Amino acid sequence: MKILKQLDKFKIATLPAIFIVFLLFVLMLGFYFINALPAIEKYGINLFITNIWQAAEDPAKEVYGLAAPIWGSIYTATIAILIALPLSICYAIFVNDYAPKKLKHPLIIISDIMAGLPTIIYGIWGAFILVPLLRDYIMKFLYNHLSFIPLFNYPPLSGYCYLSAGILLGIMVTPFAAAIIREAYAMIPSVYKEGLVALGATRYETTKVLIKYIKPAIISGLILAFGRALGETVAVSLVIGNSFNLTYKLFAPGYTISSLIANQFGNAILYKYMTSVLYSAGLVLFVIGLVVNILGLYYLKRWREYVSH
Amino acid sequence: MSHTKHKTIRMIKDKIFLIVVGTLTLLAILPLFHIILSIFEKGLPIVMERGLTFITGTLSEGGIGPAIVGTLMLTIMATLIGLPLAFLAGAYAYEFPDSFIGRGTKMLLQIMLEFPTILVGTFIMGLLVIPMGSFSALAGALSLALILTPYVAVYTEEAMAEVPRIYKEGGYALGCTRAQVIFKVITKMAKKGILTGILIGMAKVAGETAPLLFTAGGLYEVYPTDPLQPIGAIPLLIYTLVQSPSPQDHQMAWGAALIMLLIFLSIFVPIRYALKDDIKL
Amino acid sequence: MTKVKMETKNLNLWYGEKQALFDINLPIYEKKITALIGPSGCGKSTFLRCLNRLNDLIANVRIEGEVLLDGKNIYDKDVDVYELRKRVGMVFQKPNPFAMSIYDNVAFGPRIHGIKDKKELDKIVEWALKKAALWDEVKDELHKNALSLSGGQQQRLCIARAIAVKPEVLLMDEPTSALDPISTLKIEELMVELAKDYTIVVVTHNMQQASRVSDYTAFFLMGKLIEFGETEQIFLNPQKKETDDYISGRFG
Repeated sequence: MKILKQLDKFKIATLPAIFIVFLLFVLMLGFYFINALPAIEKYGINLFITNIWQAAEDPAKEVYGLAAPIWGSIYTATIAILIALPLSICYAIFVNDYAPKKLKHPLIIISDIMAGLPTIIYGIWGAFILVPLLRDYIMKFLYNHLSFIPLFNYPPLSGYCYLSAGILLGIMVTPFAAAIIREAYAMIPSVYKEGLVALGATRYETTKVLIKYIKPAIISGLILAFGRALGETVAVSLVIGNSFNLTYKLFAPGYTISSLIANQFGNAILYKYMTSVLYSAGLVLFVIGLVVNILGLYYLKRWREYVSH
Repeated sequence: MSHTKHKTIRMIKDKIFLIVVGTLTLLAILPLFHIILSIFEKGLPIVMERGLTFITGTLSEGGIGPAIVGTLMLTIMATLIGLPLAFLAGAYAYEFPDSFIGRGTKMLLQIMLEFPTILVGTFIMGLLVIPMGSFSALAGALSLALILTPYVAVYTEEAMAEVPRIYKEGGYALGCTRAQVIFKVITKMAKKGILTGILIGMAKVAGETAPLLFTAGGLYEVYPTDPLQPIGAIPLLIYTLVQSPSPQDHQMAWGAALIMLLIFLSIFVPIRYALKDDIKL
Repeated sequence: MTKVKMETKNLNLWYGEKQALFDINLPIYEKKITALIGPSGCGKSTFLRCLNRLNDLIANVRIEGEVLLDGKNIYDKDVDVYELRKRVGMVFQKPNPFAMSIYDNVAFGPRIHGIKDKKELDKIVEWALKKAALWDEVKDELHKNALSLSGGQQQRLCIARAIAVKPEVLLMDEPTSALDPISTLKIEELMVELAKDYTIVVVTHNMQQASRVSDYTAFFLMGKLIEFGETEQIFLNPQKKETDDYISGRFG
């Protein structure tokens, strides 16, 4: 009896908090679903697979299709991951194997600062510094000399485009992936490294074998970084150009789901269906983000369990 | 002969590898230095020119005072709302790591940690701003609280999990109840970790923009006083100013970014250094 | 008189400020088994790792003195450390096969040292596995992952992997401490067999093992070499009191 009473006190204090956290999550999912419903009912599957944005005061003339922002989110996050992959792996190797002892902590702290830096800081730097730099030194060159490659044959007029967003996101998510990969790499038992070195393997040959051990950690780091890139809003919306453009051309301005919401939500109230359309877009981001993050966390958990045995 | 040739190739490969790894590492961290330098180069002149006015004045006076106070108020309100929730949820996840609800809580907190923040903002807008008919500090703080909660909860859980079991057993051996053991003994032992989590959570939400876009509303000509009225914030102000076509606004944005950067670094760097010994090498 | 294969001269080693080895002078005779014994933390493993410069991996280790291999100091500036480690192989306390197939584990060393010909590699793999007394157990599943082998088999695989590069000296760091008695016996038989072709230095906690397999024994205590001699003499007629105390089980 007494034990039961003791159990209760802790649970009485904590369970309401757990209830609220779960409730908020369910409420949010339900909220997005219910608010997305009018638009999904009206436009059906076309809402997600066509690229059109026709706002009108007459609700009958309103037509929306979210294909371009959905594509933009996935496309820019993919570019970001392609940048983060080599950078974060090399960072992990350098910090663990090459950096002199005095440099290790500073390198780790720099990377942590980058992971925590307010995104608006990346945004202002991206909009005013990075984009002009990319346009003048990289995009113009590629466009002038290599425009026979379709990826490069969109004129880089402003520089605000998919590529800029992808690169900025890549810079932003690299430290995040790097932290996971570095920690995993440091956790490889030293007997494996010593076994390789004792056979006369060079550092390159040693690393090539060791990196295979942490493949699950690399995958999870990149998946979680992908999730971050998908959800990022303000930095992207300041460099992507904010236009509906369903194209793979790197120098074309575009939209992502989050930058679309950031840009259009303010005036969506003027129209009958636009708010619901934006909540539909939010629902898509919600679901993709959920799947991506669960996948990433699952891989990370599996890796941690594998290591602890 | 072929042996030495093979050897030379191996050594060259090793050198190339070192060069590639070093260069890409440099490339990964270079942006931070470029960002800091750019912000100082562009932001410092205007802050120096305006002097104290920049920190205390309203926007038309050439300052960002209301935004600074707004960020401060929003962060504190968000912490007050989120902290109890986060602490209790973290304590629960710590105490029941293997139960269904405990595991679910931890999973959910980790998912919320990675959740797109813009979606929190639009959620609160529908839930609070539209029914109330106005943007408000409360709505902004609630958005931020939703983002702060998983941070603090996860840090709390991890900090508690690192307390050696003997303290827990010692507590029970003295006849303490479960609530007393966890809220007194374990919390005290895990104080440093929990505090770190709170500070990192606060640093995180102080720099957030997206969740405030459709909740806080913005207020830059007078200082905020009423939690039910709109409020401004430094990141929100920067976002607005960057999108303006006027070069004067851009200058203001750089100045505000400098203040934002300094606030962030002055919270974040000391915490990180204090945690130096916890880094796994 | 047997030839001295390796020899340390006034070897001192520091971990940061803390000195771990003091003036070690030890000869290692060719094609003999030398056992290093002593209580944990006495420096015997640290000493072993000086012989193939594996301590180079650890930051802030400082070494003074000489380690001669065929008369040449392996800590000289002009020494190719990769070549050195090819000549001085090593087997570890915990079996550490790489996460690849049995074949690839054994072929790893020969491959990085420049053997690409498939037939030649096949020959080396078969030879090394036979030498390590593992061939009959694995010859039909060479492409199975090495981690699926039992602990004793993994350790013999690690021995095969070490001898596949045809080293001259084989260092063994408590090679049986993680194994069951039957596997231990197999490894011990293997060591005696291998000593026909190789110079072996083995660190062991197990006094019976030292007395069973080794030709020479060195007793370490707190970073110092207390006594070195033929195994029989060390065990039956130790000259120093500490050696006698340790061998008769009075401490450690």
